[in-house]
Formats: sequence, structure tokens, C-alpha cells
Amino acid sequence: MNAKINKTIKLDHPVDAVWELISDPYKVVSCVPGASLTSQESENDYKGQVEFKLGPVKSKFDGKVTFLSKDPNLKKMALKGTGLDSKGKGSAEMSMDAEVKAGTTGTEVSLNMDVSITGMLAQFGSRLINDVSSQLLDQFADNLKAKLSGGEVDTSIHTGSIVGSVVKGLFGGKS
Amino acid sequence: MIQCKTSKAIGGMGHSLKRKEDVRFIQGAGHYVDDIKLDGMLYMDIVRSPYAYAKIKNIDISEAMKVPGVAAVVTGKDLEKYNLHWMPTLMSDTQMVLPTDTVMYQAQEVAAVIATSRYAARDGREAVKVEYEPMKPIMDPYKSMDPSSPVLRTDKPGKSDNHIWHWEVGDKAKTDEVFKKAEVVVEQHMHIPRIHVASIETCGCVADYDKINNHLTMYMTTQAPHAIRTVIALVAGHVGLTEEKIRVVSPDIGGGFGGKVPVYPGYVIAIAVSFLTGKPVKWIEDRSENLQADSFARDYHITVEMAGTKAGKIQATRFKVLADHGYTDASANPSKFHTGLFSIGTGSYDYDTAFMEADAVYTNKPPGGVAYRCSFRVTEAVQAIERITDLFALKVGKDPAQLRMENFIKKEDFPWKSPTGWTYDSGDYHAGLKKAMEAIGYDSLRKEQAEKRAKGELMGIGISTFTEIVGAGPSKDFDILGIKMFDSAEIRVHPTGKAIARFGTKSQGQGHETTYAQIIAEELGIPAENIHVEEGDTDTAPYGLGTYASRSTPTAGAAAAVAARKLRDKARKIAAYLLEVSEEDLEWEPGKFSVKGAPEKAKTIQEIVFAAYTNHPQGMEAGFEATHYYDPPNLTFPSGAYICVVDIDKETGQIKVRRFVAIDDCGHIINPMIVQGQVHGGLTQGIAPAMYEELIYDEDGNILNGTFMDYLVPTAVESPHWETGHVVTPSPHHPIGAKGVGESPTVGAPPAIANAIMDALSPYGIHHIDIPITPFKVWKALKEKGVI
Repeated sequence: MNAKINKTIKLDHPVDAVWELISDPYKVVSCVPGASLTSQESENDYKGQVEFKLGPVKSKFDGKVTFLSKDPNLKKMALKGTGLDSKGKGSAEMSMDAEVKAGTTGTEVSLNMDVSITGMLAQFGSRLINDVSSQLLDQFADNLKAKLSGGEVDTSIHTGSIVGSVVKGLFGGKS
Repeated sequence: MIQCKTSKAIGGMGHSLKRKEDVRFIQGAGHYVDDIKLDGMLYMDIVRSPYAYAKIKNIDISEAMKVPGVAAVVTGKDLEKYNLHWMPTLMSDTQMVLPTDTVMYQAQEVAAVIATSRYAARDGREAVKVEYEPMKPIMDPYKSMDPSSPVLRTDKPGKSDNHIWHWEVGDKAKTDEVFKKAEVVVEQHMHIPRIHVASIETCGCVADYDKINNHLTMYMTTQAPHAIRTVIALVAGHVGLTEEKIRVVSPDIGGGFGGKVPVYPGYVIAIAVSFLTGKPVKWIEDRSENLQADSFARDYHITVEMAGTKAGKIQATRFKVLADHGYTDASANPSKFHTGLFSIGTGSYDYDTAFMEADAVYTNKPPGGVAYRCSFRVTEAVQAIERITDLFALKVGKDPAQLRMENFIKKEDFPWKSPTGWTYDSGDYHAGLKKAMEAIGYDSLRKEQAEKRAKGELMGIGISTFTEIVGAGPSKDFDILGIKMFDSAEIRVHPTGKAIARFGTKSQGQGHETTYAQIIAEELGIPAENIHVEEGDTDTAPYGLGTYASRSTPTAGAAAAVAARKLRDKARKIAAYLLEVSEEDLEWEPGKFSVKGAPEKAKTIQEIVFAAYTNHPQGMEAGFEATHYYDPPNLTFPSGAYICVVDIDKETGQIKVRRFVAIDDCGHIINPMIVQGQVHGGLTQGIAPAMYEELIYDEDGNILNGTFMDYLVPTAVESPHWETGHVVTPSPHHPIGAKGVGESPTVGAPPAIANAIMDALSPYGIHHIDIPITPFKVWKALKEKGVI
């Protein structure tokens, strides 16, 4: 199951500061809800974990992140992450392009993600994947802002509440 | 309309007797496999693959074994030691019981957890860690046929592609010639999607192996207990389980629809574990397992063409099929019929030229192809012929009812030889369609439609006039794993004139306990209420091939009639002896023999039976029992004329079935109420694939609607008011002239609905949408044509 997500995050901080954060593997991953890097395998390869919950299915992925390209001049980067559920329930693959540039006001980070999921998550989450990914990205954006402002980063996974807020959003409740 | 030969007290054919089995069903006292609880019983749960195609690198059971109550975890490597890790399918293909190295479809069995409770087994299942190396699956059968595609069945020595078989029937050269010269040719490609039988009860079993006596009792959800016993003996004979040591019991079944014909890995693992532990093992699928792993039907990609004259005379048809069988060919067809009885697809029309061909391929889907309420691929065939007939009518500018009337086989032309070799036994297609058109008010509906069209409203009328082929089947052509497709009845009448009758078939809700009793009551005059019908226990019932494909009435029902007639012949002899007249001087009326011209001199069947045990003629065998194995001389060919009216909301694409008239011809009717119930259920299962049901897989092999939340089964809310009726042309070769009805509505309804929807959309140049035709597909088509 595939989901393509395109999102632009707007930040008040200078382009260089944003790029510095986005291009630092450890820093950027610390902003991803539920994710952490555990070790560096080579110059561009890292090992890490992502915990994820979608409705009734909780998954913990052990995976690998590879930085495919990183261009400080153009402020563009591409990475690929692959992961296998630690209990053998499925796998996920994500490729992402990111670009940092000056916007009309402040800085814009444009993200293009291509997520592909196999197994239990795909079965149960097929209708929610886009919405849930979008919520996770919002949380990621908030974390970027927090990090840039020197505040606390919220890396907990608001697991139950992700699906809950999506459902509420769909039916017009308060999210 | 229906004439009864017997009194209501006897309750023979034609009486709407209330179903005997319902006494227990409506009181919640049915006895299903999950109701069986045996001392020391263990419970099994199954670890399933999240991947459609992957190598298994490691299975770590250490954490699972720590779960309290877990006794064992069984893997393919464990079964391999006993050569029980694979099994043959009914189509002589092979299937893994548990994999040793590779999984071939999502939800495939990977390991089995055995525990002292169902909960512990489920907890244990969660704790098994399997390490996979996922591979790219092949989900598209056309891609699978591509020579550059990787070979999926690497377990088969020498296999160099994904092709399973090629099949063809008819006269290719002649068909090509007619098509070349034809004034009008229409062609349509269609997909008949993969659907699921979705019976209320899932599959399950209790395997109970008695080590001391080396005897296995297998309680299981099977529509064919005897065939299963033979299959178990073939699979497990080498470890000492030979056929006399196996008893298969099929208790009450909550719906089968073909899904409970094949042998699934869960059954075999349960047997293996019981055999090794000496303890009873229960396995019951949960709903998602059932929906994701087994009991699949259809999945045919069909290109159908029709050739004819400008005046609307059908001259020839041509069919090309690509059959997606998933990982293995686990269909439950008669062995010689790779595509089942698809060749009935030439339809109800009088022409002599046709050619059909089919190729089957492997993909990374679960094994598919059960005969879901259908004689082996008849649903697919009927969808194709009835859709193309409508497209032909459209092309030549004729009303689809008129075109059908002009092309029908005439009733005086039966028995009629079809271009693919079948001999249709009887029918009156003109009468059926006429009756349906009158019932629905066809002409005024067309007028209403014209008015609505002028206002831009969407209303459609769809017809399906199908010919069915059921009652497999004559032994010269029909067998499963070599066993001929006869079926059997054994009648034992007790001294007091009450009877027990046993059969090789197995009811899953069809009402056999009532209808078989009525057949015997008709022939012997013993009241149906005094005839106890029993099925499903291989230790007591005579051998038979089971219940599916509307075969019970055509085969076992016929066997009941013939066995009862053998007893009536014996009764005549005893009556002659008791009345001291010659046999020729006796007259039969249901329930008694009387002397011609002296009706007061008579013996009732009860008196005669009593004499068979107390005062039988010297030289005659005592007792009153008979058995018959009925080998049908031909199949039976039920037919139907269905008309459906739909209204479609243009803005939303919402489809409402306003009316549905179903006129069936199933020959002589045994119990009108049960037939009506069968038709109602079947029509609802016909609206299902037409408008709602389809199992959807993504390109990675994930099933995207593997729960009832996403797989839409129609309920009472979606079902319209069904209007039913009959035309009766008895089968000339069947002992009681019956033809079978169980599957007719499931086969006939989808094209009627599809034709109605396409009729509504046809003014906008929309002429085909693959089933299920959902509001979204309709909305999209209207949007693409700029209508909305």
C-alpha cells in the first residue's frame, strides 16, 4: 500500500538554521514522533527504530536510514528509510525529498514523501494512512519549531489520539 | 399451480412443510463444530504471514513457549519430518500445509501454536517471532503470464513459467470463419472479481486421535465428509491412518457455499498435532482469517465476443479467459473440467458455433476458485453471455427482451445440443421471459423510462435469461480425485413404519432433513414427519461426494426416489402375499396398495412394513431397507428469466434496485417454501458481487478489505423486495423431474443488475462497467462523459 504525501512547513527561523537542523541526522530524527537513531553504520547509513500505532495495531520497526544526497548549496536532501516490524507483522519503506528555501515570510521546508507499507498495518490502516501521516507530519513540524526555538521536543507518539483525532476531524468534532 | 399427489398428512412433494431442522436452529440448539468440547482438548491458533511473498529466515518460538498454557509451536520443518508439510489439492496441484522456507500469499499459515485454552493459543501466536525477507509479489495475472516474470512455483521441478493449464472447447476454425463473415460483431472485456463466500460460520475442526485404538475422529466443517475421509487417508495413510481408521463427522454447518469443500492447511495441522500428542485439538478460524486466507471464488478475466446479423440473429460466440488461481490450483472442480462448467456460457440461445479457451496462472494471492454457490464457474460464464447479449442488442438496435425472444431455443427443440457439447434436458425460455415481463410490467416500464430519459433522469431495466447446468454428474465424465460423482441414499424403515434415511450429501442450511423426507414420503406414502434424515457421519452414511453445485437434489434426491421405489416394489410383493392376489392386481396410491376393483381390500404401507419383519413371504429377504447409488445419465439444466429495475441518482451515483422479478424453472418443486427461501438467499448473494463485494489487493499483495468493516456483504437493508415465480418443465431424465435450484439466483442475478445499471447509463455512451458496480464507479463514468 502506497501513500504519497506532499507538505510544506512554514517556519519563522532563518534558512540556514533550518537547514542545519534538517540536515543533521540525529537532530532531525529526534523531531520525528516515535523515532530514534541507535547507531551510525557508515557515512550515510544509520540504524534506528520507529514506534507506530494505527488503530488497534502497534508496530515497532527496526530499520535503516540512508541519506542518499545532501546538497548544502541548494539546500536539498533525499533519504530513504526501510524497516521491518520487530515481530514480523510487516514492513515499511519511505523515501523523502526535502528542500529548504526562503518563503515570502520566513522559511519553507517542502517535503515529498512516498510511504509504502506491507502487512497488518496496511490491512487495517488503508483508509487512514494519509490522514495519520499528515498528523504525524504536523507533529514533526511542531517539533522542528520547538527545537529551533530551544524548547522541548515532544517525541511521544500520541498513539490512540492520532486515529481519534483523524476520526474527529472527519466528522467535524474538535481535534 | 403445484399439484400435490399426496395428502398434507403424508407431506410429499409440493407441500410447503415447515423445515424440520428449524426446530433446533431457531431455539439456538444447533450443534456446530465449535460446540464440541472433549476432555483434555487442546486449542490451536495459527501464525500468518504479513507478506504476500517472502523468504522465512528464522522462526523464534522461545518467547511463545514461555506463555502460560502454550504446549507446542509447530512449524513446517516439524511437519517435514513426517512428510506432512504439503498436501495435494482437489485439482491434483500441491499446496503447503506449513512452509519450510517461503510464504506465497498474505495470511498464509506459517506456524501453529498449541495451548490449553484458546486465549493462551492466541497469546502464544502473538509471541512467535518470524524473520522474513520480503520479495516483490506478482499480483496481476497478465504480468504473471509475461515470460520475463519470475517463476513463483520454484517448488515444482522443471517449472519454467507461471502458467498452470490451457483449456479449450468448441470449433475454433468454424467460429473464426463465422466471425470473419459476420455483419455485426461485439466484444467486451470484463473482470469477474475475486469474492468470498462469507458464510456466517467460519471453518474449523476438532481432530481427535485415539492412540490406543489408532483411530481418528475428525469433526469438521465440510460439505463433503466422505471425500475428505478419502483425502485424509491418501495424505496420512503412510503414517498408519488408513481409511477404516478414520471417521469424519460434519455437524451442523452455518453456511458453506462451496467454501467448505476444499481441505485447508488448518485441518491437516490439527490432525497432525492430535496424531502426535494423542489429544483432541480444536481449530476455529476467526472472521478475518476466514476472509483473508480461504474460501475464495471467481477471479476470471474474460474477453467475450458475439457475432450475428444486422437483424439480430446470434450466430457465434467466442470466449477467452485468464484465470487467476493464486498460489495453487485449489479449485474444487470435477477433475476433467479445468474451468468447471464454464462451457455452459453459450447461453439460452439457438446457434451452433462457439469457441472458448482459458489459461490459468499462479499469482501471490491465496488459493482461489471454490465453486461459490455455483456449478463450477457458471456464474462467470453467465455474466459474460448475458452482458454480451445486451451489448449485441444495443448494437443492432433491438430491445433486449425482443432480441432474446427471437434467439431462444424453442421448447420443442429440447433435448438440445449446445455448441460446446452439452445436451440441455428441457426448458421453456419463452414462457419464462413472458411471465417475468408480465409480472414486472415491462412495456409500461419502458414507457416510463422514455419519459424519465427525456427529463434527464436515470432509470434502467436489465434482463438475464440464463441456463444453468447442475447435478454433477454422470460417471463417464465426472469425478473428483478419481471418485465418480454419483450420490447415495439409504432408507431403513423400522417395523412400526417409521424410517431413517441417510445420505452421502451434507446440508449447510438447504433443508435436506425436510426435502429428502418429502421425496421418500412421495414415493412410499410414509408421512414425511416420520422420516428422520441424517447426513454427515461417514461411519453411518453411505458414500457420496457431498453437497455443492446444486447437486443434492439431482443426485442424492434421485437416489432417495430410486431407493424408495425399490422398497415400493418389495411392498407390492408383500401386499400381494398378504392380500392373496397377484402383484398385477394391485393398485398403488400414496400410502397403500389396494386390489383393483375392490378398494376395501387394501394394506397400508405401515402394515406391509410390519409384515416385512413379522410375517414376510417365505423365500423373501426379511426387513425393509434399501440403498441406491445414483449415477445421473445427464446433468440437469435449470433456467431463469430475471428482470431488474434500477433508479440511479445522477449526482451521487447511488443505485437503488426498485424491483426484481425472478422466474425460475427448476423442474418439479419438492417444497415451494424452501425453494423460495433458496431463491431469496441466492438473489441476495447475487446482488453482492453485482454491487458490493470484491476482495481488493494492492500491488504489494496486501488485502485492503480483510474485515467485514471493509468487505461489504449485503444485509436486509440492501436487499430489495424479491418477487419470485416459476415455470415448470420437469427434467425428463430425473426420477422426480427435479433440477436443483440452490445456485440459480446467485448465477442469474448479477447480469440482470449489471444490465439494468448499464441500460440506465447507456444514453450517455457508457456501455460497460466491471462488477461490482459501485456508486463511485457510476459517478466517475458520468463525470468522465461530462454528464455531471
